[in-house]
Amino acid sequence: MLGYKRPAVVGLFLLLVTIFTATGLQRLQIDTGIDSLIPADDPSRMVYQKVMREFGTDNKTIIYIKDPNLWTPEKLARIEELHFAIEKIDGVSRVDSLFTLHTLQGKGGKIISRPLLIASPKTEEEALDAKKSALANPLYQGNFFSNNGEVTAMMVSVIDAEDSNNFSRTIHLALEEQVEIHRADFERIAQVGPPRINAELKNSLYEDFILLGPLSVVVLVVSILIFMRSWLSAVVPLVTSLITIIWTFGALGWIGVPLNILSAMIPSLIIVIGSTEDTHMMSAFLRGLKENPGENSRKEAVKYMAKNIGLPMALTVLTTTLGFASNLFSDIGLIQQFSIAATFAMLANGFITILVMPLMLSIFGADGSTSLGKDMGKNSLPDRIMSIFRYFQVRFPISILVFTAILCACFIFQASKLYVTNDPLSYFPSDRPLIKDAKRIHEDLAGIKIFFISLESKQGKAFQEPKNIQKLVDIQSFLTHQGVYDRSISLADHLRFLNHEFRGGSPKNFLPETRQLVAQYLMFLHRGDLDNYVSHDYRRANIVVRHNITDSHTLNQYIEELQEVIVKIAGSDMKFFIVGENLMVNKAAESLMTAQIKALVLLMALIFLIMSIMFTSFKGGLIALVPAIIPIALMFGIMGYLKIPLNPGTAMVAVIAIGIAIDGTIHLLARYNELCRRTSDYEDAVNTAVNDEATPLIVSSIALALGFGVLIFSNFTIVAQFGALAATTMLFSIFANLLVTPIIMTRIRLVGLYQILSMSIDSEVLDGSPLLQNMSNYQRRKAILISELHEFEKGELLVEQDTIGRNMHLILSGEAEVIRRDGSESRSLAILKPGQIFGEVGYIRETERTADVVATKRVSALRFDYERMQKDLKFFPNIVAKLNFNISYILGERLADMVGKSKNK
Amino acid sequence: MKLLLRSQLFFLLSLLISFSHLQECIGFVNSETTGAEIMEEVDKRHQQFPYIYEEQSMVLVDRHGDRDTRKARRYSRVEEDGTVRFLLLFDYPQEVKGVALLANREPDGRTNKYIYLPAYGEQLLESAGEGSGDNFLGTDFSVENLTGEILSDHHYVRRDDSEIEKVKHFVLDVYKAKNTSTEDRILRRHFIQQDNLYITLTHHFDKHGRIARKQSHHDLKEVDHDMLRANMTLMKNMKDQHQSLIKTSRRIFSHDYVPLEIFTAEWLYKNYPHIEPAEDMDTDNSLDVKGTTE
Repeated sequence: MLGYKRPAVVGLFLLLVTIFTATGLQRLQIDTGIDSLIPADDPSRMVYQKVMREFGTDNKTIIYIKDPNLWTPEKLARIEELHFAIEKIDGVSRVDSLFTLHTLQGKGGKIISRPLLIASPKTEEEALDAKKSALANPLYQGNFFSNNGEVTAMMVSVIDAEDSNNFSRTIHLALEEQVEIHRADFERIAQVGPPRINAELKNSLYEDFILLGPLSVVVLVVSILIFMRSWLSAVVPLVTSLITIIWTFGALGWIGVPLNILSAMIPSLIIVIGSTEDTHMMSAFLRGLKENPGENSRKEAVKYMAKNIGLPMALTVLTTTLGFASNLFSDIGLIQQFSIAATFAMLANGFITILVMPLMLSIFGADGSTSLGKDMGKNSLPDRIMSIFRYFQVRFPISILVFTAILCACFIFQASKLYVTNDPLSYFPSDRPLIKDAKRIHEDLAGIKIFFISLESKQGKAFQEPKNIQKLVDIQSFLTHQGVYDRSISLADHLRFLNHEFRGGSPKNFLPETRQLVAQYLMFLHRGDLDNYVSHDYRRANIVVRHNITDSHTLNQYIEELQEVIVKIAGSDMKFFIVGENLMVNKAAESLMTAQIKALVLLMALIFLIMSIMFTSFKGGLIALVPAIIPIALMFGIMGYLKIPLNPGTAMVAVIAIGIAIDGTIHLLARYNELCRRTSDYEDAVNTAVNDEATPLIVSSIALALGFGVLIFSNFTIVAQFGALAATTMLFSIFANLLVTPIIMTRIRLVGLYQILSMSIDSEVLDGSPLLQNMSNYQRRKAILISELHEFEKGELLVEQDTIGRNMHLILSGEAEVIRRDGSESRSLAILKPGQIFGEVGYIRETERTADVVATKRVSALRFDYERMQKDLKFFPNIVAKLNFNISYILGERLADMVGKSKNK
Repeated sequence: MKLLLRSQLFFLLSLLISFSHLQECIGFVNSETTGAEIMEEVDKRHQQFPYIYEEQSMVLVDRHGDRDTRKARRYSRVEEDGTVRFLLLFDYPQEVKGVALLANREPDGRTNKYIYLPAYGEQLLESAGEGSGDNFLGTDFSVENLTGEILSDHHYVRRDDSEIEKVKHFVLDVYKAKNTSTEDRILRRHFIQQDNLYITLTHHFDKHGRIARKQSHHDLKEVDHDMLRANMTLMKNMKDQHQSLIKTSRRIFSHDYVPLEIFTAEWLYKNYPHIEPAEDMDTDNSLDVKGTTE
């Protein structure tokens, strides 16, 4: 109400905070690095960094060059130009290509050791000779050359820069400039590596920001105009969203939380999720207008809105925020950063909406053309949906429950096929040039993903011993046996190659037999040739593995299997480590799965507790979870069926969707609860509640689905998948909230804690009432709430003589007279005051009323209906039992009085 | 007073001798002197000693700064017909003991290189290589870097003199001689100290004219009248960030130390016989990291 009562103050406050937070926008940082995909406390980080220091980085850019006439002087001259142009780029520390490779050839007792090419050849013969040498060297096959020689790779290493994000972009642009210069020279040329991935992530993020936000606005406005036919209903969410977006991104700038690829969807989420609260509030406001016609209708309607929607809205904001906040403690920086931003956004949006909505209503009031619910006409979409639902609810309630259970079971079975991935390349759609280029490299050479298997011995020069080198061979044999990696290379490959060449080309694949021969062969290799494979003291050896596995779970399983085998091969005297940036990223995927399960369980437990407390019933808590569990089960089933992986985007759908889907349930339960105070016909209350809430619920769910659906246009697969799944889940939530939940609701009776606490009744009345004696204040209030509240004007008949009625009344305020009619004569039997009850005999036994009870002043009375109390016995056994006991006591007292009177007579 | 006068006199005399020595060194050089003439003088003064035996340590430093040490003996001998024989024989570490690089440079300039690996078998393997990548046995040196260049094969162009650490140097760019190659790219740049005509620094260029390696000589010792030898030679590989240092701990100029027979396969087979695989079991396995690096 503050926004309504003090619009100027609230407006000024909002303006000042918005200006302050807007100044933080220029501090916003963007982080699209791989680091945010790896848990900060991952113990393998240290090992990884140590191995990288020793054996060189796995962070290399590959320049892929394909041409059928690659080995001609002209083409090789172009490659040479490219090589030296790239070497000149600031920040490039090393370029390996066919112009830096050395080769060794054994021929008739002659050892020829030479660079593959010092410079581009002058003649065709020289070029073909180089090709022959290159393809004969197994160390280079798959790494630098394709088997048919049509493809060559250039490996570009860069220095470690402090400002890695900007540096990466600069390198990418410089490399791209060179690639562009030579694009016409070859059939195909492309660069693939961390700088390009990083740059494309960043570009896509900018594009997403430009596209998704405005698209969400369009979708929101159109859907609200279609369903609510009110400009004000469309404008209010836009205003609250705009302010929230400024607050959120400004605050992120101030607190130093960077934007990442998931942040691209935050504006859309704010616009879409934020609008649901506005829709519910506007709906309540319009109901208030209807119920309070007259001069002060706007003020009364705002009051009505605040009273009826205030607490449910606080709850929905809380549950939505909890959905996002459940990822706050994620190990993965990407998710954690998104979670911080989204949690703040949801809280801020709730706060802003509470202030802005009354403020705007105070200025613009209701739009005369606004119509909701029944006013939308019988042929409106919500009505059509509800008429179908009602048909099934009335005819096949049990069948619906059974069908839903079977459906959930089937989808949960499909969900068992779920797999996890955290591969940055999988963030892009498969038709993107980057992904196509990566695929080409994988097909023609070897996958661009690299990990290392590092073995460490306590013994000096351990890897000059043939038996230890054989361990490398055994591990590589197992890698081949696993059949999922493209290429592995180690010191053993070099030695086998040397042995092969020294022995005149045969036998192949044999290791040198003695430690001396190993050491003596190794003198033919320059230290730089071995940098990636063995430490200078030969205590540590390194197997470099290249692959293209994108399914984290599969990769992790293979790595686990590999670990078990290496333990046996390495033996007790040797330590080993399997490390790689992509392995850490993929390993994080496993924690993604467990973290999401934990977050899901925690969130559901929290919602269960909150709802149980709010509705003072565990059943209420459980029922609130039903519309949350059903869509989630269906969503996971769809993911399993359509082979959509669990990734940093899709993993969040469940918790976020629960947080949002529960909003509709809260509104539904709150309305049902409110209606139950006025009727003993719970089915009717359910129907009325569903009727009242169906339109805002369907409208907001469809708007949410459309809003999430907008994310399908994201450049990132994970965001698009998130959008599609969240949209589907929102549609499922309509089915769950309006078809399944009402069937269950008819079987429960809830009392809101907020109603108990906010009840205003004279405590003297309650203390003096025999019906409520020996009950705590809380029990009294709850007892009152499970009864019906009725108001009677002066002269109105509360009970009519000679009628049959199975209810009794407790007078809360006012006064009534008990009048006995005998023929034409009437006599007053008693005056009833607040706290007193009447009609208790009819309540216990079906019998005719013996007198009239007439209000002599305006009376407010609680009616306890026998049938209803019997129903409520199973919902509130303690309270109803106490009431029944007190009624027995009252009747007992009456009986004793009558016996006493008859004795006196 | 007398003592003071005597020492002053001695100092002045020394200065005079040094000056006259410097005059002698650069006396023949004027602005008209060509690069070839300077190189001939350098060669005449420092490269002419027919029998040299040296005991050397090689320290190989990788890009991380980790070091590997090898010990070797170097024999070189210049025959009357101009044939140069060269043998580098490794003694340490134990597992490379007996590994030998045998090179013969014929009077016509042809160089034959052979390698002997005792663990491989009693067979001399002809080693063929070419270009700047022809580093021998894992070092940053090529055989040519150690045996010296043949003047007739090269063409020297004198550049402006320069100062390195306040010492004046002649600067000569080295190209392949026109009669041996049509290539006209710069191979090396020698920096020759003017006061002793010793090449103290050489820049080796790659095909694109960039400095690939820097070879510097240190700890110069006078081994004969005006003849100098460097006790330390450092080769820095600019691209790979490696360094190879050769330190000479003993040097003898004597025919007796460099008999002709040691330049034969038989001598090598006899003194460093083939290591059979079974023997490997008895060899010293106990070398640890500290024992093999410095």
